[in-house]
Amino acid sequence: MATSFKQIEENLKNEARKLLEEGKVSLVLAYGRGYDEDHPVPFVARVVADVENMVFNEYCTANMARYLVRYPRGTKMAIAVKPADSRAVVQLIQEDKIKREDVILLGIPVIGMKNSKTGEVIDSKTTCGMYNPVLYDVLLGEEIHGQTVVSPYDVLAEYETMDKDARFAFWKKEFDKCIRCYACRKACPMCYCDPCFIDQNKPKWGDKSPQSHGNLMYHLTRFHHLAGRCIDCGECSRACPVDIPLYLFHKKVAKECEEMFGQAAGKSIQDKPVLVNFRVDDSDKILE
Amino acid sequence: MSFEPKILGIACNWCTYTGADLAGTTRLQYPQNTRVVRVMCSSRINPSFIFRAFQLGADGVLVGGCHPGDCHYNTGNLYARRRLAVTKKILEFSGMEPGRFRVEWISASEGNKFAEVVREFTEQIRNLGPQTKFKIEK
Repeated sequence: MATSFKQIEENLKNEARKLLEEGKVSLVLAYGRGYDEDHPVPFVARVVADVENMVFNEYCTANMARYLVRYPRGTKMAIAVKPADSRAVVQLIQEDKIKREDVILLGIPVIGMKNSKTGEVIDSKTTCGMYNPVLYDVLLGEEIHGQTVVSPYDVLAEYETMDKDARFAFWKKEFDKCIRCYACRKACPMCYCDPCFIDQNKPKWGDKSPQSHGNLMYHLTRFHHLAGRCIDCGECSRACPVDIPLYLFHKKVAKECEEMFGQAAGKSIQDKPVLVNFRVDDSDKILE
Repeated sequence: MSFEPKILGIACNWCTYTGADLAGTTRLQYPQNTRVVRVMCSSRINPSFIFRAFQLGADGVLVGGCHPGDCHYNTGNLYARRRLAVTKKILEFSGMEPGRFRVEWISASEGNKFAEVVREFTEQIRNLGPQTKFKIEK
């Protein structure tokens, strides 16, 4: 049976307090109380007294790995990671954005997380559908076993069989909604480029006003930049104020990368990201 | 008036561009719809070039590089192969006709193959008709 959220919160507080008291870390990335119970916010504890403000409940969906790259290299950090977040940390280590010895991962096995906007239970439909972190130093609850394993790519079937014109119409409709607030970019743990390609003026890759062609350019290129790196936390679509199902496209690209190159993102710190790697015997069939 | 496709050809300096040169010097005839842009290596191609070309009105994009293993920079086209494969999948899932984007390995001595590929690709694009999905409306 899975450990209750209350129990995890208690364990998280104890662990964070211990780490800060011993001076092993200078900050702990976890969740704090928002304007009510159902809307927790990302929270950084720097002193022991901050620990009291930490919370953990079923609405703590934010991917805290997003905040790791904001601090100077070499900062000792502890981070609360859910399964998808731990994959993000692994991916960041692969890309040498952070060092393994600089982070302490407080792993949280979760089941039954909820989207605070809609109240829906988050499962393999919008995320990677894993229950246990792939990498952790301390586990704050019991590992979850015996759940039915559903492929996170099942949800794609409906869109893959769609006629290409219908699919274009679908994506055009979705992208036309985009107001270019860049919440997807801000929420994404893998989006750390400074400046982002869309903010460049020379060359100007795409229009910055929320028009259909600029939106298309921004989103397609973003999908490409996250190819083989997206760890499928689904945070982009939850952050989106106009509910564009960005996770669908990310899932599709992740699926293709896994099929073509035989490696999923963020599974092991020994791997290299697929697009900065190659095999001499990659088949030319992948280009057909 | 019949439809004349506008095709962007991106050719690597060491193989495909030299191959195109050879096709020219051996006086091979091929359709003139392809505008060839020379890059130093097929891995120089930023996938955004391809999205942008479609937005700016290209009906097709043809990328040429050295055969895998023959790259002037040893491994450039091996990276490009993976990258462009992903580009192709993204174009496909966004609803673009898959036939509008093609990658070919053409070496410096394959003038014939260059002419053949351009001829074939132009014909293919002609059959697909004008590309309107990504094109920016004026």
